[in-house]
Amino acid sequence: MSKGKANVTIIHQRDKCIGCHYCVEFAPERWRMSKKDGKSVLLGGKEKKGFWTVKVQPSEIEENKKAANACPVNIIQVRE
Amino acid sequence: MKKLELMAPAGNFECFMAAIQGGADSIYFGIEQLNMRARATMNFTLDDLSEIARIANEHNVRTYITLNTIIYDHDISLMKRIVDEAKNCGITAIIASDQAVISYASSQKMEVHISTQLNITNAETVRFYSHFADVMVLSRELSLTQVKKISDEIKRDEIKGPSGNLVELELFGHGALCMAVSGKCFLSLHTANASANRGACVQNCRRSYKVIDLEDGHELEIDNEYIMSPKDLCTIDFLDQVIEAGVEVLKIEGRGKAADYVKTVVSNYREAIDSYYEGSYTKEKTEQWMENIKTVYNRGFWGGYYLGQELGEWTDAPGSKATQKKIFLGRGSNYFSKIGVAEFKIETHSLSVGDKVLITGPTTGVIETEVLELHGANGPISSAKKGEMCSFQVSEVVRPSDKLYKLVATEVKDAVHV
Repeated sequence: MSKGKANVTIIHQRDKCIGCHYCVEFAPERWRMSKKDGKSVLLGGKEKKGFWTVKVQPSEIEENKKAANACPVNIIQVRE
Repeated sequence: MKKLELMAPAGNFECFMAAIQGGADSIYFGIEQLNMRARATMNFTLDDLSEIARIANEHNVRTYITLNTIIYDHDISLMKRIVDEAKNCGITAIIASDQAVISYASSQKMEVHISTQLNITNAETVRFYSHFADVMVLSRELSLTQVKKISDEIKRDEIKGPSGNLVELELFGHGALCMAVSGKCFLSLHTANASANRGACVQNCRRSYKVIDLEDGHELEIDNEYIMSPKDLCTIDFLDQVIEAGVEVLKIEGRGKAADYVKTVVSNYREAIDSYYEGSYTKEKTEQWMENIKTVYNRGFWGGYYLGQELGEWTDAPGSKATQKKIFLGRGSNYFSKIGVAEFKIETHSLSVGDKVLITGPTTGVIETEVLELHGANGPISSAKKGEMCSFQVSEVVRPSDKLYKLVATEVKDAVHV
């Protein structure tokens, strides 16, 4: 997943997640629900001060933008 | 006859203390995201549970955790952890609606209360849930006549909960109402993907709307734009009827509300309940309590459906119609307990002699007082401005970082309709 130039960043403010499952519905390759605390996990993400980030290939933009749009608490960002 | 239990909301420690100061018998609150105020930043975490239990024990109040959203498979582990931890810490009960929660909590011998999300509207449903729960919130859409019928049936048929005592009925007594049958609204889900049933309601119903005929483009004239926003429920003026209908627990809504709201509403209901049992519940007192409650956040009041109104009453304002508002001034820096004087740093606006003030904090709860004399660095002053330190008499202990507010009257165009 990290082959080539990865200049798209996905950001997740995990603390505020209410566990609605939308991101997993739209981008199942990038998101998973944690069975531990019921919040979603940004796969491959690294945490800094509550924000989880991961760089991804442009091919992932579309589905993750859908996830970001659908998030009811607006805690997902896709930055190009 | 058991005295009506007064149950207060708390979104944080400030509100928790305010509820105790107001005289609540029990307090309910959410832990993590599995509750109907998941969107609010005001939620306790699992780590707060032991402290909550400690404070509650000290003040002899019962504690209830709202674990009442719909539950998905990925929530099960967290749900179980909340129930286990609640049991360990000595929390009184879990308020539940999903069968997964009801079943797990009762398997762990944790007291279960049935949430309003299950909309109990008849005695048969009470009988069904009595296998798991000792207290049940009735649907807010029932009339008191219907409530009384259910209560009578519980007594007649001796419908008992797991504790072996008769099932107790709980009723929403005060606060925000849903425009839909409680817990059955999809407005927020359809417009913002934010399910009210996962605690993420964006409150579309509180906005103003136009009605346009799409065929000819005519806009319908409606005398009130807030056509979906119900006024707030208030039962303080017919509390006698509520008690006589057989209700045992009265719940105040408002886990998203501020500490001064909690204290004001709870303390007035406390007085009203006590008055009823002392035989001194009068119309004059009722009017005074209503005036007091109107000083904090409200959308205007009505009695809900309990008295059998035909249709909902809608608010005519976008937000609160409170007759008072609070302006943040600054924070506490010192308290001189020997002389009962608190020192504050004014960070914004100004404070003058004669101002009514509110001081709130997680341990302090809510203190309401008036500034009789004000002192600056060099002696008495008439007012303190932004950036200045000042001190005045406060009989209760003020802690560093407690917040100081000034209370001012708001201009209300129309008297709040009662």
